[in-house]
Amino acid sequence: MHEPKEIFVNTSRCTACKTCEISCAVAHSRSGNLYGALQEKPTPKPRLYVEWVSPDVNVPILCRHCEDAPCVHACISGAISRNKESVVTTDSDKCIGCWTCVMVCPYGVIGRHLETHKSYRCDRCPDRETPACVSSCPTKALVYRTVKSFSKDVRKEAASKMIAGEGE
Amino acid sequence: MKRDYPDYLIIGGSAAGMAAAQAIREKDTKGIITVLSEEPDMPYFRPLIPYVVTGKKKAESIGLSGNGPYTGAGIEIHTGARVDSVDTSRKSVGISGKDQLSYDKLLFATGSSPYIPPELEGTDACGVFALRKLSDARAMAQRAESTRHAVMLGGGLLNLKAAFALLELGVKVTLVIYSPEVLSQLMEPEDAGLIRNALDKAGLKIITGRSAKSIISDKSGVTGVSLDDGSEMPCQMVCIGKGVRPNINFLSGSKIAIDKGIVVDRYTTCNNPHTFAAGDVAVTFDPVTGDRIMTALWTNAVEMGRCAGYNMAGAKTAYSGTFGIMNASQVADEPFVSMGIVHTKDSAYEVHVRATRSNYRKVVFSRDGERLVGVLFIGDITGAGMYRYLIRENKQISKIKSHIVDQTLHYGHFLKG
Repeated sequence: MHEPKEIFVNTSRCTACKTCEISCAVAHSRSGNLYGALQEKPTPKPRLYVEWVSPDVNVPILCRHCEDAPCVHACISGAISRNKESVVTTDSDKCIGCWTCVMVCPYGVIGRHLETHKSYRCDRCPDRETPACVSSCPTKALVYRTVKSFSKDVRKEAASKMIAGEGE
Repeated sequence: MKRDYPDYLIIGGSAAGMAAAQAIREKDTKGIITVLSEEPDMPYFRPLIPYVVTGKKKAESIGLSGNGPYTGAGIEIHTGARVDSVDTSRKSVGISGKDQLSYDKLLFATGSSPYIPPELEGTDACGVFALRKLSDARAMAQRAESTRHAVMLGGGLLNLKAAFALLELGVKVTLVIYSPEVLSQLMEPEDAGLIRNALDKAGLKIITGRSAKSIISDKSGVTGVSLDDGSEMPCQMVCIGKGVRPNINFLSGSKIAIDKGIVVDRYTTCNNPHTFAAGDVAVTFDPVTGDRIMTALWTNAVEMGRCAGYNMAGAKTAYSGTFGIMNASQVADEPFVSMGIVHTKDSAYEVHVRATRSNYRKVVFSRDGERLVGVLFIGDITGAGMYRYLIRENKQISKIKSHIVDQTLHYGHFLKG
C-alpha cells in the first residue's frame, strides 16, 4: 500500500535561517516568485514558524495533520476535512473565520488571514513533489519521508551514537 | 427474532447525534444506524444559520452530509420524527403519530431550545424570534424585509450574531441587555472594552441595565417593546437571546435520571447501560473546577457525541469533560477566544493582562500560581489552542510560566519544557 510521506523536523540541524518560512509564503502566493509575492495584497504568509527555545534550540513548527485532528471535528462550518493523501485541509470557501480551529489546535499552527477572515494552515504543497519548505531547507533540518523510513534513520543514529560512546 | 447486527438509535440529528452516528460507523461497519430528527430539514451546520438570514449562504449549502468529517454514508435519517416516549425496559421509543421503534443502543442527543422568559408578555406575536433552527432563519429573513428596526433582548453571542445579520440587511438594531455589558458569560465588563468599541463602531445601539417587560403587537405582528423603566421602543422584530434549556420533556415517565439535563457517567452512559446522552442535553463536568455543567456549544457537542458513539459501538472511551466557558468567535471584526475561568473580579486568582490599542490578552492562574485556569484573548488570538491544552490537562506550568505571562509561548516550549 502507498504510505503517505510526512514532514519531519531535525531540530539539531536547524539554524533558524527561516528560508523555509520565505519559500512557504512564496509557494502560497499568486505569483509564485519572491518579487511578485512581496507586491501582493494581502501579503502571502508562511504556514510554518521557526521558533527559538532558550538557550540554543530552533524548532520549525507546523501542522502535524494529526491522526485524530481536533480541528476537523471542532470546525462549525464543515470547512476542514482530511483528503485521500491523509492531509488535513481547510476549504477557504467554506471557512467563516470563527477561529474555533485556532481555539482547539494544541500546536498553535493555524494562521489567520485577517483581511479575508479565513484561517490557513500547511497544505503540504499538493502541487509539488516535495513541500517548498523541505526543498528549500539548506541544512536538511526539514525532511519529507514516510514514518517508517524516518524512524529507521532515528534508530540507526541512536545506535551509532551508543556504539561510539562504548568505544571511548 | 435475534438480529445479526446491533440497532443503534439516535434521537436528535444535530452536532452530537450526527457526530455519534459517524463515530459508530467508524467502529462498526455493519450495525444499523437510525437518526431521528424533529426538524423538517436534513442535518445541517446550525452555527451557519445567521448566514441564511443574510442570504450569504443558501439553506441547501449548509448541510452536514459531505462536508467536513461527515460522509453521511450508511446512516439512515428520518426527519420530522418527534419522539414522545421512551421505554427502557422494552428498549423502544414512541414516535409521535407513528409506531414504536426498538433499539439495542440508544442515544439522547436532543439538544436544547431557547429559553423564553415566562414573565415576558406577548412573545407569541408574529415577528418574535429566538434564532435556533433553520426554519427560524428562513422566517427571520422574510420578516426582515418589512423590518426597519429590530430589538434584540440579551447580549450573548447568538444574539450578537443575529444582530449583525440584520445590520447587514440594512435593519436598524438595538440590543437591550440586563447585564452591564455584552457577552457577560464570556468576559467581565472591564475586559470587554475592545469588543464594545467595535460594536459601537459597527452601528449597533446598546442599552444596558434594562430588560423588556412586554412585546406590543397588532395584526401586522410586533410593533414595539416596552421596557422595565416604562419607556417604549417601536420595532417590527424582536429577537430573544436569553440562553437555552435542555430538551428533556420527552423523558417524563421514563426511568432516565435527570438533574436539569440527562445525567451520564464518564463514559456518556445514562443510568441504564444501553442508553447514552451527549451534547447540550447532557450534564457533563468541567475539568478545571470539577463542577457539573451543561454547555451549548457545537464543538463540545461534537466531541461528546463522538465519545458516546464509540461507547455505543463497544469501544469504551472516557469523555474528558469541557470548560463551562469556552468559545471562539469574531464580532464586528474583533476576534476573541474565551475559555476556563475568566471572571476574576474579587477573586484570589493570579491574573496577568497585556493590553494594547488593538489587543487584549488576559491569562488566569490558580491561586497558588501553579496552573493555568483560564484565558481571554481579544484581537490577537494566536496560539489559543496551546493554552486550552494546558488548562484542560491541568499541566504544571512553572517552567513555562514566564512565557505564558509574557505571551511568548509557542509549541517548542512544550518539547523542551
